[in-house]
This record gives sequence, C-alpha cells and structure tokens, in this order.
Amino acid sequence: MRTRIIISIVFLSLGLIIAAIPNNKTLNFKMSAEEMIEEFNGRYQFISPDEIADMIISEDPNLQLIDLRSESEYKEFHLPGAVNIPFTDLLDDEYRYLVDQNLKINVFYSNGSVTSNEAWMVTRQLGYRNNYVLEGGLNYWAETIMNPDRPEQTSPNEEIARYNFRKGAGAALGGGSIEPANEMPEPVLPAIKKRPQKKRAQGGC
Amino acid sequence: MGPLIVNDIISPDTNLLMAFIIGIGFGWVLESSGFSSSKKLAGLFYGYDTVVLKVFFTAGLTAMIGLLFMSLFGWIDLDLVYINPTYLTSAVVGGLIMGLGFIMGGFCPGTSMCAAAIGKIDAMVFIGGLFLGVLIFTEGYPLIEKMYMANFKGYPRLSEVFNISDGLMALLFIVMALAAFWLAERFEKKTPAPEY
Repeated sequence: MRTRIIISIVFLSLGLIIAAIPNNKTLNFKMSAEEMIEEFNGRYQFISPDEIADMIISEDPNLQLIDLRSESEYKEFHLPGAVNIPFTDLLDDEYRYLVDQNLKINVFYSNGSVTSNEAWMVTRQLGYRNNYVLEGGLNYWAETIMNPDRPEQTSPNEEIARYNFRKGAGAALGGGSIEPANEMPEPVLPAIKKRPQKKRAQGGC
Repeated sequence: MGPLIVNDIISPDTNLLMAFIIGIGFGWVLESSGFSSSKKLAGLFYGYDTVVLKVFFTAGLTAMIGLLFMSLFGWIDLDLVYINPTYLTSAVVGGLIMGLGFIMGGFCPGTSMCAAAIGKIDAMVFIGGLFLGVLIFTEGYPLIEKMYMANFKGYPRLSEVFNISDGLMALLFIVMALAAFWLAERFEKKTPAPEY
C-alpha cells in the first residue's frame, strides 16, 4: 500500500507542477515576420508547372491539386484531379481534412499566383504542412504547358528539351499536337526534382 | 520513434529495427507480468482483476507527463506528435467490435501474440480470428467506406474541447486516474475471482 501512496503523490505533484505552468507559448507554431520573409525569399512554396505536369502525367498519388477559384470558374476549367475549395471557404471545417494533413502534397492554384500565395501564407501561419503553390498560377500554366514558346534553333539543348517536354505534356493534358522542335537524337527531359514526403510516425495499440 | 524519423535523424529502416527491439521488450514485460493469461483481460470485465486498467492508465499518465515536460524543456515539438484523426461513427462501431472481441477471446492483439508465443492454443485461434477480421475488413471496405469515413471531427484534444490549458487537463486526468484506481481496487476486493 505504501508504494501506491508514494506513486500517487509523485504523479499528483508532477501534475500540479505542469498545471501551474502556463502553456508553453514558445513552441506553438507561429512564424515571426523575419521567418516569413526568409520563406518568401527562398521561394520554397513554389512548384513549377513542369513539375506539376510531370506529376499529373505520371499520376503521382501524392499530388493533391486545390483550385482556389470560384465554383463556376472551376466548372469551366480545372486541372486534372483538382478539388475546388473557393478561397473564402479555405478554413471551413468541411475542408480541414484536405488542407491540414500530412500525407499528400497540396498544390494551391488560382488564375494568377496572388490568391494561392495568400492561401499558402494563411495555412503556413496556422502550422499546416505540405501546402505549396503552383508557380504563376493557371495563366503561367497556359503559357508554359499549353502554348510553350518555340525556342530558337540555336538554343541550348536543355531549352529545346524543355520545350519538347512541355509540348508533350500539353498534348497529354489536352493541348495542341506533338511536334518536336527539331530532330534531337535523345531529348533530355528537364530534371524534375521530387520533394521528399515527410513521414509521420503512426501510433496505436 | 516519432520525432527522430520525422527529422531524418534515423532512417525508416533503423526505425523498424528499434521497433523490433522495443517490441521484444514489450512482449517480455507483458508475459512476465502475467498478461498472456486471458483471465487478466476477462478479469477487468467481470471485476475481479483490474490490473489491465491500472497498467494501461499508468502508461498513459507516464507518457502524458513525459511529453508535457519534454515540451516544456523544448525537447519535443508537440505539433509533430501524431494524433489519431477522429471519425466518430467508426470509433463507436469499431470500439464495440473490439470490446466484444476482447471479452470473447480474453486477449488484446498484443497479449494474444505473447500467449501464442508461449504455446497457448486459444491465443493462436484468436490470432486466426484477427487475420480473418483483417481480411473481411479489407475485402469488404467498399461496402463500409461511407460509414468508416462518417462524422469526421478533425484532430480534437481534450484540452481544446474543454478550452483549458494542457497542464490543467493533465492534472484533472491524473486525479481521474487515481480515483479510478481506488474505485477499481475496492471493487476488486468485493468481487471474488471465480474458480476455474
């Protein structure tokens, strides 16, 4: 019986200590203005249209495109596999499971990149992970993937390869026809850097 | 080894190895404290042996206090700790099925492995049932998916629900646990263990 009393007292006193101390605010997720500037300068939140096109075509299961435009715009055109969360409803409980999760790579997009950047900033401040922004939005997407500029014949190989990739991707995603810029022996695809997916340890009995 | 693997301090393979070693330790402790007997788990239901309640509640308390103090000292970022998402409907239905299985079989998945390892035939049958359940769940998933995902409540924590600080919640939880232990032991004394 004595040990039980001692153990109870130990637990209770530890509980009293932890209850007397205010919640540790320093560890709560809140980015300072400096950190925010640093993140912006690093442009870490951006994923280029080439990367997204590659992920869509290879049917990467980690990719979750989120269309921030209004429902009518979404119905008119949206990227394959995208879900519609109008920016005004971003923090609705209904969508929380999509926005605050650790399994998929969320990519926000809107027409330009202002709205998606705002969405990214809000979710980043809330401490949500795995949210990214489609660089340049749908306008830049249309410019690069759907109607890529034909490079000069004298352009470096990478540029021609990038053009060929975009042309192919555009065709696969419902754009124009495939028509290589010139007869390259082996088109080198632009390097697509995959983001490592953060793992989280799962618990259970 | 949650935070270690998230921060790339150890690789997933090392993580598995550590899980293996910790698992052996866990099994050894379970077996040596008599949890491989189905009477222990059944005892909780019938009220003659409440050690299961005390052990798992104490484990919870230890982990809770440890995490809160580690967070206080800045050793662990509680945001990185996995919280089970709450799907209310499946939690209730699954809890009923699990509870029924526990009391019918007299084991929980962990103790059944322990008991099977020392050669208990009932535990082996229990594990067979466990795999059967896994098979039925997996193959029948399309039928129950709607119910499985119903009533998603996010990642609620008690302290957020009651809108009090984590520390105060912890203290309340400790008081509750100690009260539960005391009641359980009183109840235990009144209920004689059946003769087998």
